[in-house]
Amino acid sequence: MLEPLLESPIKEKVLLYLHTHGESYPREIARDLGLYVNAVQYHLLKMEKGGVLYSKLKGKVRLFGINPCYPFKKDLEALLEKALTFVTDEERERLYKPRLRPRRTGKPLS
Amino acid sequence: MNLKDISLSDLAASICDHCRRNGIQVVLSGGACVSIYTQNEYMSYDLDFVLMSSVGRKRIKSAMKTLGFNEDGRHFRHPDTPFLVEFLSPPLSVGQEPVREIREIRRGKRILRLLSPTDCVKDRLAAFYHWNDRQSLDQAILVCRDAEVDLHEIKRWSISEGMKNRFGIFKKAISGEKAKVSMLSWIKK
Repeated sequence: MLEPLLESPIKEKVLLYLHTHGESYPREIARDLGLYVNAVQYHLLKMEKGGVLYSKLKGKVRLFGINPCYPFKKDLEALLEKALTFVTDEERERLYKPRLRPRRTGKPLS
Repeated sequence: MNLKDISLSDLAASICDHCRRNGIQVVLSGGACVSIYTQNEYMSYDLDFVLMSSVGRKRIKSAMKTLGFNEDGRHFRHPDTPFLVEFLSPPLSVGQEPVREIREIRRGKRILRLLSPTDCVKDRLAAFYHWNDRQSLDQAILVCRDAEVDLHEIKRWSISEGMKNRFGIFKKAISGEKAKVSMLSWIKK
């Protein structure tokens, strides 16, 4: 959907992923989206440099997310939300609908 | 260029002026502005310049090279000074809003362009609001104490950022600090 605008299908997928997951790290994003880590890392760093994303260290992992101080954050999120409506139901369920609510330790996943 | 013992504001003015002469418009933002407005009570070693328009990395690198700075990843370093210089992508903004007013400070023959004290406080508060960074809240309070800031404007901006409750924490904190000029700005309006 946004490929002509973003000039990269990977960038679009990564942004949709971060929009729906909040924060994540390159290896997890690459694994979930079925992409190469290097390609994901390249786009993450490029968008971080441009102020679109932030990154922070948590333990030994560098987490990325959409920068809340990015001046076009609300507009970007509106665009991503619109783009999500064009994603197939199957893809949306599989890639962009993670379980984010907490689950107590030891309680099995239903 | 001899940079041994150079102050943060002199160095920032030199870089800003040098960039301008090379057709690169930059504005100092971040913790360095806090250092300047608080007379180094809070000391930053990061000089974050926001580019006013997109400029190729090669041009920046070449301009910095003539000042004796070498590229080190995203940053620029000089062997004689601990300060770390970084150029950030445009636009110049605080939170979701563009910066409208740019302050100029003269250091000898050089002019440093930087955030106004009010925008400097907003910039620090953005980190407190969005990252829950208490150090940034402390820095915002220091600037309010040492420089004249428009608290009504900060309140308006905080509400537009959706942070009315967090502004309350900030307001309570500066009340305790007896912010000299900033408190007057409340009374005046």
